[in-house]
Amino acid sequence: MKRKLLGIIDATTYHEDLKDLLTHRSLAALPFAGRYRIIDFILSSMVNSGIRSVAIFPKIQYRSLMDHLGSGKNWDLNRKRDGLFFFPSAIVDSEYNRIGSFDLFAANMDYFYRSTQEYAIISNCFTILNIDFGSVFKWHLQSGCDITEIHDQRGSSLEIYLIKTSLLIKLLETRNQTGYTCVQDVVNDPHHGYSICQYVYDGYAVMIDSIKTYYSSNMNLLQPEMWKQLFLRERPIFTKVKDEPPTKYLKGSKVTNAMIANGCLISGIVNRSIIARGVKIGKGSVIKNCIIMQKCQIEDNCYLDSMILDKDVKIEAGTKIIGTPGSPYVIRKGTKQGALMKS
Amino acid sequence: MVKKKCVAMLLAGGKGSRLNDLTKELAKPAVPFGGKYRIIDFTLSNCANSGIDTVGVLTQYQPLLLNSYIGIGSAWDLDCKDGGVTVLPPYSESSEVKWYTGTASAIYQNLNYLKQYQPDYVLILSGDHIYKMNYESMLEYHQEKQADVTISLIEVAWEEANRFGIMNTDSDMRIIEFEEKPANPKNNLASMGIYIFSWNILKEYLEQDANNPDSSHDFGKDIIPLLLREKKNLFAYPFRGYWKDVGTVESLWEANMDLLKEDCELNLFDYSWKIYSVNPNRPPQFISPEAVVKESLINEGCTIEGEIEHSVLFQGVSIGKGSVVKDAVVMQDTAIGKDCFIERAIVPYDMTIPDGTVIRSFDEKIILVTEQLIRRLKPAY
Repeated sequence: MKRKLLGIIDATTYHEDLKDLLTHRSLAALPFAGRYRIIDFILSSMVNSGIRSVAIFPKIQYRSLMDHLGSGKNWDLNRKRDGLFFFPSAIVDSEYNRIGSFDLFAANMDYFYRSTQEYAIISNCFTILNIDFGSVFKWHLQSGCDITEIHDQRGSSLEIYLIKTSLLIKLLETRNQTGYTCVQDVVNDPHHGYSICQYVYDGYAVMIDSIKTYYSSNMNLLQPEMWKQLFLRERPIFTKVKDEPPTKYLKGSKVTNAMIANGCLISGIVNRSIIARGVKIGKGSVIKNCIIMQKCQIEDNCYLDSMILDKDVKIEAGTKIIGTPGSPYVIRKGTKQGALMKS
Repeated sequence: MVKKKCVAMLLAGGKGSRLNDLTKELAKPAVPFGGKYRIIDFTLSNCANSGIDTVGVLTQYQPLLLNSYIGIGSAWDLDCKDGGVTVLPPYSESSEVKWYTGTASAIYQNLNYLKQYQPDYVLILSGDHIYKMNYESMLEYHQEKQADVTISLIEVAWEEANRFGIMNTDSDMRIIEFEEKPANPKNNLASMGIYIFSWNILKEYLEQDANNPDSSHDFGKDIIPLLLREKKNLFAYPFRGYWKDVGTVESLWEANMDLLKEDCELNLFDYSWKIYSVNPNRPPQFISPEAVVKESLINEGCTIEGEIEHSVLFQGVSIGKGSVVKDAVVMQDTAIGKDCFIERAIVPYDMTIPDGTVIRSFDEKIILVTEQLIRRLKPAY
């Protein structure tokens, strides 16, 4: 298994519906589940499956993604051989939004030529799952297919593919003759002449493509059965670690049903919410059905229900804002909300 | 080797016998503290934050965990090209194995380590204490006073003064007298076991001490009194702030409880003086719909389905439904079952507490939970 598979993550995707959360970051770097970025799930799945060489193809706003991944140390990918490779796209203006763009890959052909791994996983960057590619690989070898497409329980494609590296190189080299622009083109073409198989993954898997799926998939994690499917001791989700102290619950705090990262100072009441690292919640404040991202400061006596607060948001004392679970209210990164501006 | 102005030597071989079962398999500096840390994190972070990038860590008692925990020092940003952390265990020479018999002998046996850096000053630290201190300021003070040795002091309660090395100083902070654990202390300024030596003095006196068969090779008992007798320049550096020697089960529990105070003197949330530690990679803490959490310090990877009040929980602790944990410290990866009641106790790491266990003390004593205690509590059916 080791050194047999190459990991390729297409991090170029942009979802218009998530634009409020993507002004400063790429989709891959979107915070999730209190302390992660969504790329952590696919990347950790790859690493836990023994993949030692991962190529990431980012496009727009990738500063935060680069900052997050660094040398790949937190995923044990800072290796002398193989490791983490970053191939920012030279194509800036394309409207293209499908997974596995051949033009993008072909701009870095050397990576594919040099890699010794016989097979490659090509994945999108926005699926939340904890999958063992070892099982997929075994299944792929047994099935004898050219390309395996991973599907979820309901039969929809998760836009993750397993392909022989030599076939991928051939598809890249002949892309101008065949007209295929991406892996999806090949899979969806009825006349491709390749055998395509569907592997059904029956674990927890969600593709984050809208505010609604983002909010509901976060909230789903507050159910222990869901949480347990994603966070397994033997297959941990790795992320950038920070030296935050444990979270401190002060006098007056009362917390039920929540997922809370380290470094928070909580003096208020929290119910059914996801709180990221370093958040401060003041005395008398009530936080319900919310996703609160890193370093937000909520002063005293606020009332927030069904909200998504992006990083570094400051809520002034006495502010009351209520969204609805169907369309949670999003407050953009770094903004300040005062009691007088409340909606 | 690059010359270093100041090299730190961190004594981490302490046994901490009064911590009973907690230090059976761990050296005292490796004892868990504050929901996430080990005691040695404070000294190592102080070094990193004070700009001291060359640290020799002297281990001896139960070094396995400590050695792997420290590694190459990357957790404290001390994995530098020149210097960094070096773990210095006792070693054998052609004639004999040289155990560290005292604090001074430990440093003496590693003079070669120090010599390669040609330091001007050597900072001697103990890995047993919890405090935040800027060693750079102490070094500046040492230079200002043109001292041969500077010893850091803290004011302790008078009734406790007989437990410490007590310094008597003149108005200029020059040390005129030093008494190790005096029965009738004249002063309540205690040595924190932190020394800055000018290199020449350290080398000279360690060599002299090593040749003295009557010496117990201890800084407090032998080296400092000798330097005083020889009228060297010894100065006291007064330290103000949180400092705790968590040598007993009670004091370890107390220091943990201190962290729950709103205005705790030991601020772990001060980003200008971070306490670094080896970060476990665990998911955020999960607090279930049935759970209640009040006034506590909780680390990542905890799964809480019971009620937690005024307690410190380390990473990976799980608390079952219907359980109540109050005024307690629960160390990493311990699983507390359902319907337990635990109060005023320290529950060590990697333990499994069966469903329905009740642990509470009926006097003021803090209970250190052990496997034997759990077996004894087991209902006989």
